[in-house]
Amino acid sequence: LQPAAEVSAQGPGPSPCILADSREVSSGPGVISCLRAVHGLPVRVCPLGSSDYIVSSRLAVDRVFQSELQSPGNRSKLSQRLQRLQGVFERICVIVETDRVRPGETSRFFQRTQHYDGVLSALVQAGIRILFSSCQEETAALLKELALLEHRKDAALPVPAEPPGPRRHVLDFYLSIPSLSYGAALSLCRSFGSIAAAANSSVPALAAGARLSRPQAEELHRFLRHDFDVQLLPQPLPAKGKS
Amino acid sequence: MTTKANLPVTAGSIVVPYGHVIGNEKWRGSEVAQRLQGKVRLIFEDGLGLVDFHLSNRTCILLISEADLVAGDEFKRRLVRFRNASSLRGIVIVEKTQISGQYYSGVQKLVVLELGMVLLPVANQGEASQLIIQLVREQSRERGANPFLRRQRAPLAEPAVLRAVQHIPGVGKTKALLLLQRFGSIHRLCNAPVNELEQVVGQTVAQQIYTFLHS
Repeated sequence: LQPAAEVSAQGPGPSPCILADSREVSSGPGVISCLRAVHGLPVRVCPLGSSDYIVSSRLAVDRVFQSELQSPGNRSKLSQRLQRLQGVFERICVIVETDRVRPGETSRFFQRTQHYDGVLSALVQAGIRILFSSCQEETAALLKELALLEHRKDAALPVPAEPPGPRRHVLDFYLSIPSLSYGAALSLCRSFGSIAAAANSSVPALAAGARLSRPQAEELHRFLRHDFDVQLLPQPLPAKGKS
Repeated sequence: MTTKANLPVTAGSIVVPYGHVIGNEKWRGSEVAQRLQGKVRLIFEDGLGLVDFHLSNRTCILLISEADLVAGDEFKRRLVRFRNASSLRGIVIVEKTQISGQYYSGVQKLVVLELGMVLLPVANQGEASQLIIQLVREQSRERGANPFLRRQRAPLAEPAVLRAVQHIPGVGKTKALLLLQRFGSIHRLCNAPVNELEQVVGQTVAQQIYTFLHS
């Protein structure tokens, strides 16, 4: 049984917010409902795409099943995902969750493979934090711990996580910038009165406003001032209107 | 596996050649040591203090047995002392069994979230040795071979800039291209007055773009 929940939110200010990817509604419903009901944390479900959860302005969390690390089949998918995350987040955490036993199935015996140890070693070497969880409830408890920890370090996400009405288009504009996370795009919406104000800001102002690291703020600054050269577009022009 | 309180943390200056492991004398003859032999070059040394195995790359391993977990807080003191006194990267391998499994989440909270070290569970000493072998192999590998480290950044910003401008309401691909060819960057587009925008896209859309960028 899971330990009794401490609902009292420690740390400064209101309790931190967690963003969950829309796919988690079907693949981890227990995690989201437990975060809300047991831990009393505000969870916003959004189309994050990049990671399963975002718990602070700098930390993304991916949830993987233990069986996904057992065989080489999934490795390239996982490595692509984590590489992309490294471009956007300062810190990445992987929660390895024990596979669920379906009703009528006897508990599966976990046969540790050499590949599994190899993946763990590579994750450790890459500086990716690894946590182990036995079920969705425990995963929720770990996410809460991570969010509180980041909250104490003053990296928490701004709480009402969605700007209203017309500001939604501004958020979409920021989300189309490749190096920006969902959290950073939200912070930009909130800290700068307009896109023009953000575009005219210095690197330190962007870093403070969007809660980015210095190199990430530099990349954003560069992007906003990037001199467009039509010759450098791949031919034929990509027909991507929707993202 | 009791640790005396007055043991030094580590010799500190230990240099471990690639592919080698320097093990604490106390593990000589143990199952984990026997299984490591032949797979990695294992050398035993006295006076490693709190550390069980030194790997290259300033990494070391602290092994927490099932018995340590059940016995209580002694191993926690050992980990905290290690963390406070050593600049080496510590990987804690813990024997998580049916008996010791109930302590795991508490240990994980301490080791990973509070001490910021790495914690990896194994079921027994045999699994611990297999894991150590992989950790040693990973360290001897070139950094570029790690599948989870970020490759070079995206080479060209052009497609992304074009896509961003298309997120302005009323602007499709054609207008986005015209705007970027005229103004060059998102920054200059943001600073263009309405009358200059009108020369590219017409009055209504120009006003729409201006409002979007400035409100």
